[in-house]
Amino acid sequence: MTTSIRKSKSSSTIDRRSFIRGAGVCLLLPHLECMTPVFARDKTERQPRRMLLISNNLGVLPKPFFPDTSGADYKLSPYLEELKAFRNDFTVFSGLSHPAVVGGHSTENCFLTAAKGPTKSGFRNQISLDQFAAEALGQQTRFPTLNLGVNIDKAKRSLSWTRDGALLPAEDSAAALFQKMFVQGSKRDIDRRLRELKLRGSILDAVSADTRKLGKRLSAPDRNRLDQYFTSIRELEQRLHIAGEWEHRPKPSATREPPTDINDKSRFFDKFQLMLSMAQLALQSDSTRLVTLMVDAFATPVFHVNENTKSINGYHNLSHHGQVPAKVQQLETVDRRQMRLIGELLANLANHQTRGKRLLDNTAVLYGSNMGDANTHDNRNLPILLAGGGFKHGQHLAFSGDDNAPLSNLFVSMLQWLGVEADAFGSSTGKLAGLEFVA
Amino acid sequence: MTGPRRSCIVATASALILFFASVSVRGDSQVVVRTFIKSTCIDCHQGEDAEAGLDLAQLAWKLETPGIRLRWIQIHDRIENGEMPPDADDLPDRDRQSLLSALSVAIHAADHAEVQVHGRGPMRRLNRGEYENNLADLLKMPKLDIRDKLPEDREGYHFNKTTEMLDISYLQLGAYLDAADSALRQAIASGTQPRQLIRYYALATKMFSPPTTYGGREAMFFAKNSTLLPLSGAELSKIRQKGNHDKDVELALFRSASWPFYGYPHGFICRSAGKYRVRFSARAVRQVRDFRLKPSPTPLPLTFRARAPSGPDVSGDVRSVGGVMDIQSAEAEYSTTVLLAKGQTFEYSLLGLPVPFPITSHGGPLYYDFPPMPAGGHPGIAFRWIEIVGPIDSEQWPPSSHRALFGDLPIRDSKNADGGLAIEVVSNQPAKDVSRLFRQFANRAARRPVPKSAFEIYEQLIFDQLDQGASFAEAMIAGYKAFLCSRHFLYLREPKQTTDHYAIAERLSHFLWNSRPDAPSLKYAREGNLRSATVIREETDRLIASPQFDRFVENFTDYWLNLKELRRDEPDIRLYPEYRLDDYLIESTLMETRAFFTAMVRENLPALVLVDADFAFVNDRLARHYDLPLVIGSAVRKVSLPKSSPYGGLIIQASILKVTGNGTTTSPVIRGAWIMDRIMGDPPPPPPAKVPAVEPDIRGAKTIRDLLALHTRSESCTGCHARFDPVGLALENFDIMGAWRDRYRSLASGEKITGIDRSGHQYVYYVAQPVQPEGRLLDGTTFQDIHELKSILASQPRKLARNLLHQFTTYATGTPVRFSDRPVIEAILDQCESAEFRTADLLHGLIGSRIFLGEPGLHVEPEK
Repeated sequence: MTTSIRKSKSSSTIDRRSFIRGAGVCLLLPHLECMTPVFARDKTERQPRRMLLISNNLGVLPKPFFPDTSGADYKLSPYLEELKAFRNDFTVFSGLSHPAVVGGHSTENCFLTAAKGPTKSGFRNQISLDQFAAEALGQQTRFPTLNLGVNIDKAKRSLSWTRDGALLPAEDSAAALFQKMFVQGSKRDIDRRLRELKLRGSILDAVSADTRKLGKRLSAPDRNRLDQYFTSIRELEQRLHIAGEWEHRPKPSATREPPTDINDKSRFFDKFQLMLSMAQLALQSDSTRLVTLMVDAFATPVFHVNENTKSINGYHNLSHHGQVPAKVQQLETVDRRQMRLIGELLANLANHQTRGKRLLDNTAVLYGSNMGDANTHDNRNLPILLAGGGFKHGQHLAFSGDDNAPLSNLFVSMLQWLGVEADAFGSSTGKLAGLEFVA
Repeated sequence: MTGPRRSCIVATASALILFFASVSVRGDSQVVVRTFIKSTCIDCHQGEDAEAGLDLAQLAWKLETPGIRLRWIQIHDRIENGEMPPDADDLPDRDRQSLLSALSVAIHAADHAEVQVHGRGPMRRLNRGEYENNLADLLKMPKLDIRDKLPEDREGYHFNKTTEMLDISYLQLGAYLDAADSALRQAIASGTQPRQLIRYYALATKMFSPPTTYGGREAMFFAKNSTLLPLSGAELSKIRQKGNHDKDVELALFRSASWPFYGYPHGFICRSAGKYRVRFSARAVRQVRDFRLKPSPTPLPLTFRARAPSGPDVSGDVRSVGGVMDIQSAEAEYSTTVLLAKGQTFEYSLLGLPVPFPITSHGGPLYYDFPPMPAGGHPGIAFRWIEIVGPIDSEQWPPSSHRALFGDLPIRDSKNADGGLAIEVVSNQPAKDVSRLFRQFANRAARRPVPKSAFEIYEQLIFDQLDQGASFAEAMIAGYKAFLCSRHFLYLREPKQTTDHYAIAERLSHFLWNSRPDAPSLKYAREGNLRSATVIREETDRLIASPQFDRFVENFTDYWLNLKELRRDEPDIRLYPEYRLDDYLIESTLMETRAFFTAMVRENLPALVLVDADFAFVNDRLARHYDLPLVIGSAVRKVSLPKSSPYGGLIIQASILKVTGNGTTTSPVIRGAWIMDRIMGDPPPPPPAKVPAVEPDIRGAKTIRDLLALHTRSESCTGCHARFDPVGLALENFDIMGAWRDRYRSLASGEKITGIDRSGHQYVYYVAQPVQPEGRLLDGTTFQDIHELKSILASQPRKLARNLLHQFTTYATGTPVRFSDRPVIEAILDQCESAEFRTADLLHGLIGSRIFLGEPGLHVEPEK
């Protein structure tokens, strides 16, 4: 959208803010259509696209995870057998990693940011994939993103980071998330946020009034620069306006009972399962379209592997199995159970249909880890799986194990599918070769 | 193209311009140009199948249209460079000169006419570094850190200051609002009094949080009387619990701070962000057999790393703080200040020392071992005590940052506790105070007097906030914040009126300080003195001599030389085990290039030192790297080079040789093109699509020269590659970090070399094919090695100087050299020629020219 200063000047006879509100109805339709289930909408509109980004910060055993053969007719690996029912709904990748993101566990906060050298002097984290997408897409839902965690060390770890490298804490309480999504906030909180938005609106009003004064006296090249500036003021105002609308709108009603938090860290799988269901609920209710979930295996103490067995060590120590058969065997059990949880998630997303389309087809689900091999602190050859979304799946896309392709290339592909006009992210060199959109 | 040739042509052109009125010349020019085109060019460049899609019959003679003018400029330059017509005999030299003069005169007239109406370029948005520096200087907060809140700016012509790339979007505007808000709140007094000082003190046994470190006792131990004091974890806890530390114990550390490591004072955490003074007592030692300490023959550099105390796994920022201190072998007290964020601590970072290495046998349990002892023992530092005092607030209260916003208005404790400001500003006459404070602030922020009508808009915003019940300080913040996102603050202007000296002041300061002009510069602007040749010269010299000039050196070299990417590639430890995790080396190379460039300007060195010099800036690490006589200490200093040394000259500095490699291999194609582009000012055209890059073979079977032979065999490649490949060939004698090599290394063939690197890792690589650095330049000149190449490049000082002027022009004005600027550039070069094109002379020449100061006589109606 381009707006010339002169054009807008002609409308300055009517009150500016009311003009924006009035214009908002038509200008903002593409955003408003996304507010279902809050609003009714045209059935022909493109369905909203979503991302669910999951990382287990200790990863999985590489050998049983990666398939031996590649391409579309690859043979499922032992772990992927657990996802057999969805073979054509996911792509498994090998030979991906973030260049220069090394330093053992310190890489866990860089999984979605690709920020290099996380242990070096001068390191500062960068914007994460979810935040990058949220910035570009604007506020289409009540929450631009939701960050979830399992057993998470809240002060130190998150998948989600701001542009200036500040951690966006992940929520590990299902009850709190439920409250946030479905229970009306206090009037005081809403008023405070509205006041903040209003102040910002007034600031932009002043800046734009001051800008308009200059319009006529400028030479053509200067006017072009100023037009662009003026347009950015207008667009920011519109976005504030949408944010304000959300504050006024009632929250959706929940389709399930409020959950009860599990506080016992040793019930790792129960917690993981609960958080996956919260993620699913967030997407289903369109509370947000961007969810991150960090599974903090590193901070998980001795835990229930299944009903009868507890892990030999805490998860971290277990991951340094040193090829001790009992530990390797137990990790395999743990990894497989995790794969089954992902399978359940995919099944749930596939079963939830809107207008004949599976939620899975509108949701790109990324599952992976910053650890290629936790036993040796290897940050290369990361286990990565992408399910759902509008991609041509059913293949093992193998890149060189010696000379990995940047994981950020996959992120660029995902951003483009999501509708973000970006040709670069993190350390990308382009889109990921071999991964195509469904026509 | 050689320097003298272009200058001769341009000199002719300038002469012509002086003699003819532009309109009549344009008419005549078209006839001349069309005639030559018809006889020489049109055969190939006509119709749908025209070569390069250039249909000269259809190309309008509308030189006033920028797009069309650009096409004609390209035509002019290709003819001038002798690239067109392909067969030089088709256009005899005399005809060529006539055609070029006609083209040049007409293009110049059209381009200059545009400049005279609109100025050289449009207003330019501040980039994120400039935005931060402007706020830092405006608010008197030198350590302000908000740059990363803003999206990264796009680059054009290598720089992040190019007007056409500095777009703005709602994202950016929103980020500017957030950044301004954050800066303003940091500027305001944190309370009615400076914060209370907290003192932390630790003797050696409390100085290192964990009882041991990765690498075991050899990496860190406690000593008494220079011998090991074996303390178990339990014993150490007991000492700490009871607080009975022994002041005769030392903490001896022998490893670098690379992951995995955590070594910070036990129990210290920064509770309130700010500046902390750190004092400690230490000495440089060597660990010899059986954990004994002896004095080190050389000092050892130490710095601190600020970060969250999150154990070995780092979370969040890591910053070097406190500067580099050379710890001497006699025990002494050291003092520095560190900047800490809330929740951070800092760890001891010994520079240039090894990192213990992980051992797993057959994937078995992981443990860290320490490398074998080098001759003379493990270098390290023994600490006796440390004291940390802070946060250190300004002695004057409220601090100057607060006074920049609220002057001398009294402050009191805030009643509003929920996340707002800690203080309230008391105003008994808000109407008066708002106007007084805001106008003062706005005039400073805008770097010029702001028109009255603009004040009123922002003041209204502030009064509205007051009416709605906002506190005085919050209402002012709203107004300030709005102004910091306004065009007055956000945009730099082109000098478009002869009377506008403020535009000159801000251009000069953003050029040489990367920030706003200071009071003396603004005073000259107010008095209308900046067009005086003496004043602008003195101002330039003053800015160059000041400490803020470092910002120019850093930012300019970061972009011009791409030093911001210096750490992009890790050295490949399979081929170069000696560079494993050697951050000190990389940091030193950066210091060298910055010191060198600073000297070029401050010592007014000739432009040819870019390619050849008999001196270098080195410290202890670089002297070893360059195989020079050893020097002591971490600071870089100027040393003269022995005649036989291949070093000397910017293009043979380790930073440049690293940034033009990829960590594993070097490519003469990339290095050659890089030097032609950034140093010689002769950028190669982009490579044709779908041609794969030549990848060096690290298996060692083929040399890069064999692979490059492909270029010389293919005619379509050789045309361009002959211009830059040879330059890169001479640099093949330098490895990925810039160290000398006679033979390539490989992973598979050649003579096997095995050993243990300084971190204790075993390595195997092969010494393979010899480097063949000789080459032949496009003009037929041949060279045997780097020494000869340097002489060849150094024989083109005018070209080197012209390129510097081009780089300075884009950086300083946001608009690259325009066609109508070319005679100005040549005139500056003429002036500087007799003194060998010295760098500061070139800068002065540019700053005194109409390119920088704006068109004389230009007058676009100013705002009332």
